[in-house]
Amino acid sequence: MSNAIDQTRRMLSLVTYLRERPGARVSEVARAFGVSEAELIGDLNVLPLCGTSFRGGDLLDIDTDGERIWWHNPGTADDVAQPLRLAADEATALLVAARAVANLPGLRDSDRQALLRAGTKLEAAAGEAAGGSAQLSVTFESEGSVFATVDRAITERRRLWMRYYSPARDALTEREVDPIRLFAVGHTYVEGWCRLSEDRRTFRLDRVAEIRLLDEPSDPPRIEPRDLSQGLVQPAGDDPEVVIEVGPGGRWVAEYYPHDSADELPDGGLRITLRTPDPGSLRRLALRLGRDGRIVSPAELAGDARDAAVLALAGYGE
Amino acid sequence: MAIAKAERLMNLALCLMNTRRPVSKRELRASIEAYHEVTSDDSFNRMFERDKDDLRELGLVIDTVENLDGEYGYLARSDRNRLPDIALDPEEAAALALAAKVWQQARLAEAASGALQKLRAAGVPYEDTHSALEPRIPTPEPAFEALMLATRERRAVAFDYRKANAVRPEPRQVEPWALECWRGHWYLAGYDRDRGAVRVFRLSRISGRVKARGAFTVEVPAHVDVREAVARWAGEGATTTATIRLRRDSGYPLRARAVATTPVDADWDELEVPYGHGLDAWLAEFGPDVVVLAPQELRTEVLDRLRAVAKG
Repeated sequence: MSNAIDQTRRMLSLVTYLRERPGARVSEVARAFGVSEAELIGDLNVLPLCGTSFRGGDLLDIDTDGERIWWHNPGTADDVAQPLRLAADEATALLVAARAVANLPGLRDSDRQALLRAGTKLEAAAGEAAGGSAQLSVTFESEGSVFATVDRAITERRRLWMRYYSPARDALTEREVDPIRLFAVGHTYVEGWCRLSEDRRTFRLDRVAEIRLLDEPSDPPRIEPRDLSQGLVQPAGDDPEVVIEVGPGGRWVAEYYPHDSADELPDGGLRITLRTPDPGSLRRLALRLGRDGRIVSPAELAGDARDAAVLALAGYGE
Repeated sequence: MAIAKAERLMNLALCLMNTRRPVSKRELRASIEAYHEVTSDDSFNRMFERDKDDLRELGLVIDTVENLDGEYGYLARSDRNRLPDIALDPEEAAALALAAKVWQQARLAEAASGALQKLRAAGVPYEDTHSALEPRIPTPEPAFEALMLATRERRAVAFDYRKANAVRPEPRQVEPWALECWRGHWYLAGYDRDRGAVRVFRLSRISGRVKARGAFTVEVPAHVDVREAVARWAGEGATTTATIRLRRDSGYPLRARAVATTPVDADWDELEVPYGHGLDAWLAEFGPDVVVLAPQELRTEVLDRLRAVAKG
């Protein structure tokens, strides 16, 4: 779960925390430290093996009955129990994150103000450890007014009506959606229950052409939120396979499309194998690639792209 | 194994924090049980140096002091290691806890939760932060961690980099100034030593290891704008326009961006759209629903793409 360094970091803070809170509850401490109770008990088993002085003998006398935690010698450990300054990594991680979220267009003003105030106080407390945070920045793209409308719908538990653009079909569709959450990974998305498809759907905010709050209450079925750590698009095993060969100028495809494999080709290009529930949506990709790549299979999709290009050339009199 | 190391680091940290005078390596070796298991001087010295580095990474300031006999002693002075008073109200604490969850990169995710632990130990209120908003910073490329440290410590680096259309990666030497994540991708801006100019690199195009190349030779400007350069490549900030014909009811994003739209007949509209980098590739995507009228170079580029696809 956690390595020795992270455990040490946590135990140093625990010493400070527990000294100030005699009889603290295991469950509360675990929550405040963001660890499971089992992990916390693991830490509490190590702490009594730690001496408080190089002269030896004085071990931390911390024990627990599994429910509460006691520390019997707090008076002897003044210097080891003081709150510790932030490391450069720690200050960077928090400050960069606070600035990124504070700049998210559409964020409620009270949240933005709270973040900015917290950031200023944190920067002051971090001192020189805050220096490294200036070289790192993250921008979340979001459509401010769409974001604010979705945020309000979630808070007020109301249904949304929207006109949404689907690039795969190059078409706008009208939908009613019960929003569940907003998330930002580069772009900002709303995940919700789509009443048109009666299924869970993810909508990118910059593809929302129009949005309105409805008076109907939102009533999404209880569903497990998707695990975002695996990426936004998670193809199913039985989706049709598509093989694309790209030259050096088309290598970006491997960065934008989740794929099963990308094998180097002798000309500096890649042979990319991916799966998608809707291969037709890749016709646009084939047209965009031009001489930088082509669909190898399925043959039907390759033929589709060819036909579209021939038709397009006719528009130029060719 | 991991537990043993955490216990050893903890003992070393507590010894260094709870002493008023510098403690020698000899004294520490005698006092900390985990060090008794190490028999050779060489392995002990290596372990001790690594342990000190690990504690410093956690933020501990360890002073090294030479005594009259030329022996080094170590201590972590409480005044240099104390977190200054910080008072956050529950709203501020909750906002910070939400922000702390954005990292998915292991090192910064652990650092963010470590920072929250230190703040909570110092009395910052714990707020249960259930929020319907979940910002996430995508897990960056393997080169990220080395570049972040080099940028912070102002050390030049060398890496292999493949330009957008290059057949092969080529070696670059860069003084890294700033890292920025935009639209889910990480970029590095810095001084390219071989080209003698500022360059922006996309981290996903860096291959292999990031190697160290000594100190900076060029002064770091006060303001480094990564995003401006990247947005230009993405076709933003265009100063001229192109004229296209677009089939009615298609191409919504083109319509949303158009500066002028005029109906031509029952099936077609004429649009004036900003002409930035990459517009040719984008227009080609719309296939038979777009005809480029002007300028001529854009028309040629789009035709070129379509001809290549038509050939199969």
